[in-house]
Amino acid sequence: MLGFLSARQTGLDDPLRLRRAESTRRVLSFELNPDRDVRRIHGNGINTLDIEVIEGRYMLSGGADGVIVIYDLENNSMTPQYTCSAICTVGRSSRYVHTFSVETVQWYPHDTGMFVSSSFDKTMKVWDTETLKPAEVFHFQGNVYCHHMSPIARKHSLIAVGSEDPKVQLCDLKSGARIHILQGHRGEVLSVRWSPRYEHILATASADSRVMLWDVRKAAGSLFTMDQHNGEKSKASSEAVNTAHNGRVNGLCFTRDGLHLLTTGTDDRMRLWNSATGANTLVNYGKVENDSRKGLQVAVSQGCSIEFAFVPCGSSVAVYAIHTGELLTTLRGHYNNVNCCVFHPDYQELYSGSKDCNILAWVPSPRSHDIEEEGHGSAARGEGLAAVNPAFEDAWSSDEN
Amino acid sequence: MDHAQREKLSELVEELTTSGEPELNQDKMKEVKKICKVSNDYIEHIYHLIMTQMAREHAEIRLSALQMADQLFSRSHHFRTLLVSHLQEFLELTVETDAEQPLPPPREVARKLKTMAIRTVQTWQDTYGQAYKKLALGYHFLKQVKKVDFSDIEGRTLAERRRQEEKQQRLQRIYKDKVTKATQEMEETVPDIEECLTEVENCIQLLTPHPADFNLGSLEPMAACRTPVPVSPGRHKEPLFSGSDEEQPCCSKDLRDEGAAEVKEMTKKEEEECSDEESEMEEILEEDTFIRNTGLMSHAYSLALDISTDLSVKETEDNEAVVNTMRDLQRLISAKHLPAVQSWVQVFTKAGGNDALLRRALDLKKGLQGALQKHEELHIEYRRRERRVGNAGADDEEDDDDDDFEEVPEKEGLELHIPDHLRAEYGLEPASTSTSSVKPAKPAPAPAPRPPPLPKRRGYAEEQDPTCAAATLHVLKQKLASASPASTSGGHVEPKDKEQQSEDKATAPIVPFDIDLYYWGQEQPTAGKIIRYSSEHRFWVPHEREEEVVNQELSAQMKSRYITFAGSFQPVMHECRAPIPNGALCKRQDRAKCPFHGVIIPRDDMGNPTNPDDAARLERERRRLQEEQPDWRDPELMREIEAATGEDLGSSKTFGKGKKGAKGKGKKKKYPNLTDLKQSANTSRSRLERKVFNKSSMRRVTEAMNRVDKRKHEKFSNQFNYALN
Repeated sequence: MLGFLSARQTGLDDPLRLRRAESTRRVLSFELNPDRDVRRIHGNGINTLDIEVIEGRYMLSGGADGVIVIYDLENNSMTPQYTCSAICTVGRSSRYVHTFSVETVQWYPHDTGMFVSSSFDKTMKVWDTETLKPAEVFHFQGNVYCHHMSPIARKHSLIAVGSEDPKVQLCDLKSGARIHILQGHRGEVLSVRWSPRYEHILATASADSRVMLWDVRKAAGSLFTMDQHNGEKSKASSEAVNTAHNGRVNGLCFTRDGLHLLTTGTDDRMRLWNSATGANTLVNYGKVENDSRKGLQVAVSQGCSIEFAFVPCGSSVAVYAIHTGELLTTLRGHYNNVNCCVFHPDYQELYSGSKDCNILAWVPSPRSHDIEEEGHGSAARGEGLAAVNPAFEDAWSSDEN
Repeated sequence: MDHAQREKLSELVEELTTSGEPELNQDKMKEVKKICKVSNDYIEHIYHLIMTQMAREHAEIRLSALQMADQLFSRSHHFRTLLVSHLQEFLELTVETDAEQPLPPPREVARKLKTMAIRTVQTWQDTYGQAYKKLALGYHFLKQVKKVDFSDIEGRTLAERRRQEEKQQRLQRIYKDKVTKATQEMEETVPDIEECLTEVENCIQLLTPHPADFNLGSLEPMAACRTPVPVSPGRHKEPLFSGSDEEQPCCSKDLRDEGAAEVKEMTKKEEEECSDEESEMEEILEEDTFIRNTGLMSHAYSLALDISTDLSVKETEDNEAVVNTMRDLQRLISAKHLPAVQSWVQVFTKAGGNDALLRRALDLKKGLQGALQKHEELHIEYRRRERRVGNAGADDEEDDDDDDFEEVPEKEGLELHIPDHLRAEYGLEPASTSTSSVKPAKPAPAPAPRPPPLPKRRGYAEEQDPTCAAATLHVLKQKLASASPASTSGGHVEPKDKEQQSEDKATAPIVPFDIDLYYWGQEQPTAGKIIRYSSEHRFWVPHEREEEVVNQELSAQMKSRYITFAGSFQPVMHECRAPIPNGALCKRQDRAKCPFHGVIIPRDDMGNPTNPDDAARLERERRRLQEEQPDWRDPELMREIEAATGEDLGSSKTFGKGKKGAKGKGKKKKYPNLTDLKQSANTSRSRLERKVFNKSSMRRVTEAMNRVDKRKHEKFSNQFNYALN
């Protein structure tokens, strides 16, 4: 750290380097910190989380009971102890509340005055944050599994919606109409993502175990379909033609640079694809436990020297190095299946929502002061800990000698 | 980390967790703590050990592991961090947070484990919740998601509680239905019951006069006998019945016949009787007026009154109707009313809140039981004869169980010397008649066409059999027969005196007419002669010359006859009577030797041999058998092995089932102190399953079904649609 600082001071290093190194260190030291809490509002499982990118201050959460909550993440109390409080809630008492489980929530990328939520009550609602009233409601044929707005789009304001219907629908916020249908999938669409690099590129994942990449300007069909065998084995077995997984594909995430695409499937695999060619990069992540029937929200880190992927994995969150496939840590803390996680790029924090009604904040452990004291050994550290909290003391009674 | 210490730690954990005790052994636990105190490495090791034990499918192991974890949790920070980081698994294994992973059996212990785990988590949360975030999260998870009520000692989750409530409601509903039904039933039958009770009451009144009716203490003889009842309340001597029968206890008949003689307001007939008696008495006791007045022979008498309290009513022709009614009522009450009332009481108590109804039912029950009690006290003696003839239909059922067993006269084993008066019983003819025992070809045809006595016939077959007792008897008989004269062996009957002849005639067997009888007493010249041809050629007949040969066999055949002694069966009258383990005596009726208890010997009522020789022999044999028993089957040793292994080797049984014992010996249980989970599965259902789903029986069934199937196929094989499948 000091080395980085001095190098930065003397101008030997790229300014990004210090930042990257420190971010990486912080991500790797994620822990469940007693100082950071998220207030329990949801009476049921958390399905989705989203942090707005403008200020990085507000977080949306959607629960299985249809409730949507907006949290304030910023700690203004000047103490390390902070409980993220809910600013406002679309609770069960609200007349606009979703009748069934909210599957996806997303801030409008350019302004916090609006957010979009979709639910199993077959609707997608565009909310005004100030009044907490829906400005627009889209009705669909079946349950809506997911929707996504392009984070970079300037030329369009389309929301891609994946539902029980195999056709992906594009809803235009400008006109309030469903303007386009993308046909190609044969199963329910579990996840849709816009590319963070090209505003017209859309990836969709479906229960028919296929992942497709679309250019919404092209009417004819998808650009290509991801093939897990890179076209080698598909000739032999017609069954596995152009499938990305051997099960439902329920997680989809572009890397920050938009060059790669991560997918997770119920075959307990995670795959990394080249988003330009659709080729399987064949990174081996090992077994990624996944038995969700709905969409999973996978998060990737930003601004670190190595890219990390945070993948809900049973009742824990697994942290992988994206390009090497190495499992770095497992964040254990939830008592039931984790549905979603979201990475806060500014503070390097991770929020995860689970079926056990908890939203847990994973924050970097504070840099310990005892780097210099390391020579004193573990006994000294134990005492140091005990000084922090008396509960950390060992309590061996003397009669056990 | 010291390897030896490590090993010791593993051993200790294993021992502590598999002890099966509800509490940990303090000494061992202290040792564990002593080791753990040394270093965090040991803590890590013991944490893994505990978690491994915790994952085992036995609630007792888990309970012990939980207790260990609790002790270490309160002591070591390192242990706390380790456990808290894996609190999910811990909760799954102890609090049953995952519905797909229920707690293992035994159920009682599992429930205890859950309660204890919840209490433990509660205490941990109180003490360390602040410091360990995940612990707090786990606590909240239990509290809010699993809805565990920490104040509820049962530690039931919401679902369980709801289930319980539903069950309660269902029960309530059922009870309500039952109550309404019972109430209805009660309303319908209460009049009947009351009527029945009144009837019983009246019957009792009729059968037993009220004490007041006897006017005990009143000095007037008149008043004393105002009620001409057929029964008396027990045996009592009334000094007031002057002049009548002090000596006799007045039982019902006597009372009517003689006691009632004193009654002044009698019917005419009775009056006559009475006067007769009185006149008789006057004749006897004329001279002493004192006796007449007091009924005592002298003033010096001290009279003891023996008034027995329990009643006894005898059924007579007079009270027959009343007694019959009484019995019918008693049956009605005990068979119908009382069970019904009892069921109502049960229903009302279970359902609760029906105090009035319950009280009424209880009253009824008390009344019915009182009636039955009174009936008991009456000690009514029913007339057996009457029952047989009169209401046979009803009584047959009662007598059934008596008829099931035939009364067999007891026999004292096989006796070689049979006294004369017992001979008939043993199937022997009296010694005097034994002269005419079995004979081939009785010369004179019997005068009366009467078949020979059956038992004798049957006896023959067995007499031929040297193994059976009858043969011995036969030998005896022959011995006796040889002593007596006139064992005719074919040929002519000597002209004897008439007595002898008639006797012979009476005992002579009847044989069917045959060739030997046809030529009886004649010499046959041609008998047994046959012509033998020297050459038997077909064409080449030699010079004709017949050769007559006398065949001895044939000639004998003409004069004699074969009689097959089919014999007659002689039922065995004696029993083995050797004592058997259930306390009874062996009922086998073998002729000479019981397959289980050896030669049948005379035994007394207790099954002990009466003959001291026999007793000595039996004792010897028993001792020999005991010595023969291999030493591993020594009961002492077996009991020890059983205690060690927990398996039943059958030491309680003296002999037998050796194979099973040997098999059980090889298998040693790993943890003798834990509850055996497999043992609890030894229910009637599992036993049946073992039998029904046995491999061989399954195969048998499939084979049989296949056979049936095949037959069908064969039958219709020429029809194409059956041929296909």
